[in-house]
Amino acid sequence: MKVTLRIQRYNPERDSEPYYQEFIVEAGDDKERILDLLHQVKWKYDGTLTFRRSCAHGVCGSDGLRINGRNRLACSTLLRDVNYKKPIVIEPLPSIPIIKDLVVDMSDFYKKYEAVKPYLVNKSPAPEHERIQSNEDAEMLFESAKCILCGCCTTSCPSSWSDENYIGPAALLKAYRFVFDTRDEAADERLDIVDTPDGIWRCHTIFNCVEACPKDINLTWHISQLKKRVAEREM
Amino acid sequence: MAYQPKPPDGWLKTNLKYNKHKGSWAWILHRITGLGLTAYIYVHIYALTTLTQGEQAFDNEMKLFTTPVFKVLEWLLFSLVLYHAFNGVRIVLVDWADGAKYHKKLLTVVYGLGVVLFIGMGVLMFREPIANMFASLR
Ligand code: HEM
Ligand code: SF4
Ligand code: SF4
Ligand code: FES
Repeated sequence: MKVTLRIQRYNPERDSEPYYQEFIVEAGDDKERILDLLHQVKWKYDGTLTFRRSCAHGVCGSDGLRINGRNRLACSTLLRDVNYKKPIVIEPLPSIPIIKDLVVDMSDFYKKYEAVKPYLVNKSPAPEHERIQSNEDAEMLFESAKCILCGCCTTSCPSSWSDENYIGPAALLKAYRFVFDTRDEAADERLDIVDTPDGIWRCHTIFNCVEACPKDINLTWHISQLKKRVAEREM
Repeated sequence: MAYQPKPPDGWLKTNLKYNKHKGSWAWILHRITGLGLTAYIYVHIYALTTLTQGEQAFDNEMKLFTTPVFKVLEWLLFSLVLYHAFNGVRIVLVDWADGAKYHKKLLTVVYGLGVVLFIGMGVLMFREPIANMFASLR
């Protein structure tokens, strides 16, 4: 069957504003992935179309795009997940700078991720084998550790759109990942970093991030745990 | 040659363009009703200034507020209070309980309670005048 892709294009050497271009592609059935259709455009019709992808299987987090109005991974979105009777609109992630076509500048996203110290801090000498953790303690981290840093959440967040300094749900999720890790010793430092008007308190529980996350992570719940931990610290 | 990345759209345009789901509508309504109630407080205080202009002025104004138009406005004001108060409790449950795990169910409860109490209040406020209207028709 024939499917129309309506793709946002922008070439910094030539265009002053992004514009849309339609391509008609051939899809085997409704289990075809959006990423494969983008490949078809690039390989058969227009080699200049630029987008990121590497694993093609929902692991690397590089093909976060806005597809039919909401953020998701092109490799994890099937035709039947969207309305393909009408042109499928494919745009770069919103609210961050566009480098070319569907490729966006993620530097700010990574800077905020680094700000929460996304690594284990433990000053005691390393034991001979691993630092032991109980199953229950590890389970508290499973959901937050699934994050692939695709940026779908933070760029879908209305608080991020209106406050460019808001650290954003992805970085807050990472803060949770280590604050609630029983082996970690830097919880207080991280809580100081997120306990600011541009940190957890900028989250207005809108749940756009949860809708967008391709790994089904309930970011708002994790942010609420940080809010509670910060409040408990004050009492 | 290095090229500057294209800066993103502003917050308003991004809000308008991005898909809305239950949670986003809940937030938009909460902000609208919050700002509406704040605006109402100013109107309310301004209306009370007739108290400084003597008994007659105040009584005249109170009579104005019993006219049908103001009754309906009052009823609509009540809808803002209902939504903002119940959704406010929902937000508190999301932040301080595990509400983030069942926020859509909570929203159904907010809308349900809101509609029932809104209609209930409508019945209380307008039962008599409507009954009187029909009585006078007969
Ligand atoms: C039962 C009473 C009320 C409850 C439970 C309540 C609850 C809340 C909560 C939890 C928020 C934070 C929302 C967020 O994080 O985005 C909020 C915001 C707000 N409230 Fe209320 N509120 C109540 C009454 C009022 C009244 C009477 C007014 C106006 C006079 C008002 C005006 C506002 C405004 C302007 C905001 C900011 C809107 C926003 O952040 O989106 N609220 N309310
Ligand atoms: S729940 Fe919080 S972090 Fe997630 S989109 Fe809403 S405001 Fe942003
Ligand atoms: S939390 Fe989900 S949406 Fe956000 S960066 Fe991680 S995987 Fe992507
Ligand atoms: S290409 Fe790696 S997540 Fe989609």
